[in-house]
Amino acid sequence: MAPQDRLTSTLTRPASTTTAPLLQVSGLSVAYGGRQVVSGVDLALGAGGSLALIGESGSGKSTIARALLRLLPASGRATGHVELAGREVLGLPERRFRPLRGRTLGFVPQDPASALNPVRTIGVQALEAAELVDGLAKEDRREAVLETFAQVGLTDPQRVFAAHPHELSGGMLQRVLIGLAVLPRPSLLVADEPTSALDVTIQKRILDLLSTLRADLGISLLLITHDLAIAAERAESLIVLKDGRIQEAGTTAEVFANPTSAYARQLHADVPALNPDRYADLRAVGEGRAGDPARIEVQGVTKTFGSLTAVDDVSFAVPAGTTHALVGESGSGKTTAIRLLLGLEQPDSGRIVVAGEELHGRSHASLRSVRRHLQLVYQNPFTSLDPTWKVERLVREPLDRYRIGDPASRRELVRETLRSVGLGEELVSRKPSALSGGQRQRVAIARALVLRPDVIVLDEPTSALDVSVQADIVETLLRLQADLGLTYVFVSHDLSLVRQLAHTVSVMRTGRVVEHGTVASIFDSPQEEYTRTLLASLPVGAA
Amino acid sequence: MSGYGGFALRRAGQAVVVVLLTYVFTFWVISVLPGDPVTTTLRNPQNGFTEEEIARIVSYYGLDRPVLVQLWESLSRFVTGDLGVSLRSNRSVADMIGEVLPSTLVLAAASLTIAVVLSFAIAFGVHYLPRPFSTALRSVPSLFLSVPGFLVGLLLIQVFSFGLGLFRAIDTDGPVATFFAALTLGIWVSAQIAEVLIANLDHEAAQEYAGVARSRGLGRLRMLLKHLLKPSSLPVVTVLALMIGEVLGGAVITEAVFGRTGIGNLVERSVASQDLPVLQAVVTLAAVVFVVVNLLADLVYPLLDPRVTLQARPEVGANA
Repeated sequence: MAPQDRLTSTLTRPASTTTAPLLQVSGLSVAYGGRQVVSGVDLALGAGGSLALIGESGSGKSTIARALLRLLPASGRATGHVELAGREVLGLPERRFRPLRGRTLGFVPQDPASALNPVRTIGVQALEAAELVDGLAKEDRREAVLETFAQVGLTDPQRVFAAHPHELSGGMLQRVLIGLAVLPRPSLLVADEPTSALDVTIQKRILDLLSTLRADLGISLLLITHDLAIAAERAESLIVLKDGRIQEAGTTAEVFANPTSAYARQLHADVPALNPDRYADLRAVGEGRAGDPARIEVQGVTKTFGSLTAVDDVSFAVPAGTTHALVGESGSGKTTAIRLLLGLEQPDSGRIVVAGEELHGRSHASLRSVRRHLQLVYQNPFTSLDPTWKVERLVREPLDRYRIGDPASRRELVRETLRSVGLGEELVSRKPSALSGGQRQRVAIARALVLRPDVIVLDEPTSALDVSVQADIVETLLRLQADLGLTYVFVSHDLSLVRQLAHTVSVMRTGRVVEHGTVASIFDSPQEEYTRTLLASLPVGAA
Repeated sequence: MSGYGGFALRRAGQAVVVVLLTYVFTFWVISVLPGDPVTTTLRNPQNGFTEEEIARIVSYYGLDRPVLVQLWESLSRFVTGDLGVSLRSNRSVADMIGEVLPSTLVLAAASLTIAVVLSFAIAFGVHYLPRPFSTALRSVPSLFLSVPGFLVGLLLIQVFSFGLGLFRAIDTDGPVATFFAALTLGIWVSAQIAEVLIANLDHEAAQEYAGVARSRGLGRLRMLLKHLLKPSSLPVVTVLALMIGEVLGGAVITEAVFGRTGIGNLVERSVASQDLPVLQAVVTLAAVVFVVVNLLADLVYPLLDPRVTLQARPEVGANA
C-alpha cells in the first residue's frame, strides 16, 4: 500500500492527492564549495504521507532538508529538481519562493533552545506565523496563536506568549516551534531531528504530538533522524542515506522485513532498541560474577547545592566485573552522583567505598592513590581530549603522573593499550583533530585503561557518536570487561543501550533512586510508575 | 525588581569611588611632577614679586602646607562642587569650564549622533543591498579608520567652506560649521561602531533562529529590522560608551582644526601654561563623563537583554 493510498482511509481531510505527489525530488545534489555532500537524491512524498530520511552524521540528511527549505548557507549550491505541489521551486527566485515559506512548507528545527530569537518574546515571534494565515484579521491573530499553543499541549498559553525563550524548557520550546510551524496549515512539515536534544519522555510526547497533528491536519511529514527506531515507528516510508547517496528506499515494513543494502542491514543490527540481546554472550561473563563481593558501595549519599538536593539518599552496590547503569533524564542527579563517586565532590552525608577503601575524608595524596583505580571516560570525545597533544602523549599522561615504569616500558604499555581498544600503531603520532569521533573515544578509553584500573566510570560514552560507531565502542567495552574483569558504572539516558550492556540498573529521578534491580527485572517487570513511563517512551521500532 | 535596584545602587557606588580615586590620582601625579608652576611664575623676575609677597600668596593658596592636607582640602572642596581657581586668570575653574563646555557638548553629541546614523546606515547597506554594493560597503569602515581625523577636517573645510562657501571657516560656532566639525569626528567614530555592528549582524544571521524565522516567510527587511537588529545592537551600547572617551579625546584635534573654543582648546592652553587646577578639573570631568556613561550602559543593558541576569542563581544541574 503506497503512503498516499493509506492516507485516504485515515485522514479527516479529503484527499486531493492520488495524482502527483506533494513533494517530488529528483537528482538533487548539493555541494559546499567544491565538496559534494549530496549526490543525485530522488524522493517522493504524497500529501498527508510521512517519509523519514535516516542517516548518520555526514550522510547529508540535514543538508537535503536545508536545500528543500532553501536555507543552505551561502556557500551551498543545490542542483536538480524539487517540485512542491506541482511547481518547480529549486530555481525559483527568493521573492517568488517566499510566499511558500510557512504557508506550504513548515520547518521544525533540531535544537529548540536556539531556534527562537532570544531577545524577543515568544508571542511576537508567534504572531509572525499567524500573519501567514490568509484571511485572519489582525486582531484575531493573538487568539489564533493562543489556540495553537493549547493545541500543541502547552498548559498556560498566556504565560508562554509573554515569555522569552530562555524562560521555557526545551520540551516547551519544541512545542512552541511545532505550533508556529503548523499554525499556517502548511501542506508539508520538514522536521530535522526534532527530538534529539530532548529527554526521552519528552521525546515521546513531541513525536506523539507530530503524529497527532499530522493526522488531524493532514500535513505531510518529512522526518530527518539518525534514529532508526524512531523512523520506523513514525514514518510510512524510509530512505536510508550514506555519504550523500541513497542506500535504500521503500516502505518502512519492507525495509525492516527485508533490507537489501548492506548498510541498511548493518544499521539495523547496530540500533540498540532493535537488538536488546546483541551482546548477550559477552554480558554473560559478567552475569556469572553477580554474587561476587561489591567493588563499589554507595551508602545513603546525599549532596545539596544551596536549596537544591542534587543527590538524595542514594545507595547502590556494584559487584566486581559487572556493569551498573545509572539511568535518568536531565536534572535526575546522575551527573552529581558520578562526581561524588570520583571524589570530585564531597557528600553531605553517607559513605562511598571503592575497592574496600573509603573515598571521603581523605587527604589529597591518598585520594590520588584511590583515583588510580578509578577512571573516567567522558561524554564528548570532541572536547575531552587536549587538541594540541598527540595520541601517544594523551594515553601516556596517566603513566607519567603516577610514575609507572621507565619511558621505554611506558611507550610499550601505551601501544599495547591502544591495540586492546582496536587502535593501530599508525595513530600514535596523530592529534585528536585527525581522528574520527569513534577513534577519539577509543583514545579516551585507552587513556582510562592504561593504569589498569578496577573501576571505569562511563559518562554517556557514546551519546556524541553515530549508532554504528556506538556499537563498535560498546563491543570493545564489553570485551575488555570480559577479559580484564573491569567494573563499570555506566551513566546514560538511553535505556535501550543500558539493556544491551548493563547487569544492574538504578533509575534516578530528581536526585533519588526510584527503582533498582537487575536489567531483566527493571525492563520486564518495572514496579514504579516512572520506570514504566521511561520504558514506554522508548521507540519500539518495527511498525 | 529589587534585584535591579540593588544592582543599580551597587554600580552607582562603584562609579563614585572611581571618580574620587581619579581625583586623588590626578592630584598625586601633579604633586610629584617636577617643577612647581606657582613658584616658577611668582619667581619670574618679570613679575617683580618680593619674597614677602610670594610667601603671602603661597600661604594664601595653602601651598606651604603638607601635600596630604592640601589633598584633603582640595578633595573636600571638590565634593562640595568647588573646583578651585585658575592660576593664570585668577578666575573660578568652574566658570572657565562652564564657558567652553556647551560648545564641546554640542560637538560631542552631534558627532555621536552622526556616528550612530552613519554606522547603522553602513551596516544596513552591507546586509540589505545586493552584492557588488554590499561588498564595497564592507570595506568602508576600514577606510574611515585609516584616514586621520585632521585630514578629513581639512578636506571638509577646503571643499565645503573655501570651495562651495557653505560656511565661513572663521565663523566657528555656526550650525553648518558645527555640523562639519561633528562630521569629521563622527566619521571616525562611526567606523568602529559599524565594524562591531556588521560583525554582529553576520553572526546573528548565521544563527539557527534566523533560519527558522526565514522559514516562516519573513522577508529580508523584516528579518533585519525585527530579528537581527536588536541582538546585534546590544554590544553596540558598550562600544558607544567606550566611544565617548574617544570623542572627548578627538575633540582636541577637531577643535583645533576648526578653530573652535571648547574643552580641547582649554586643555591645550592649560597644558601650555601649567594651569594645574584647570587640568585637574578637566581630567576629573572626563572621568565623571566616562564613568557616568558606562554606568548608564550597564544600567540599560539588563533592560534591553532579557537573558542578562543580575543575581547569581543557585547552581542547578540543567533542569529542563
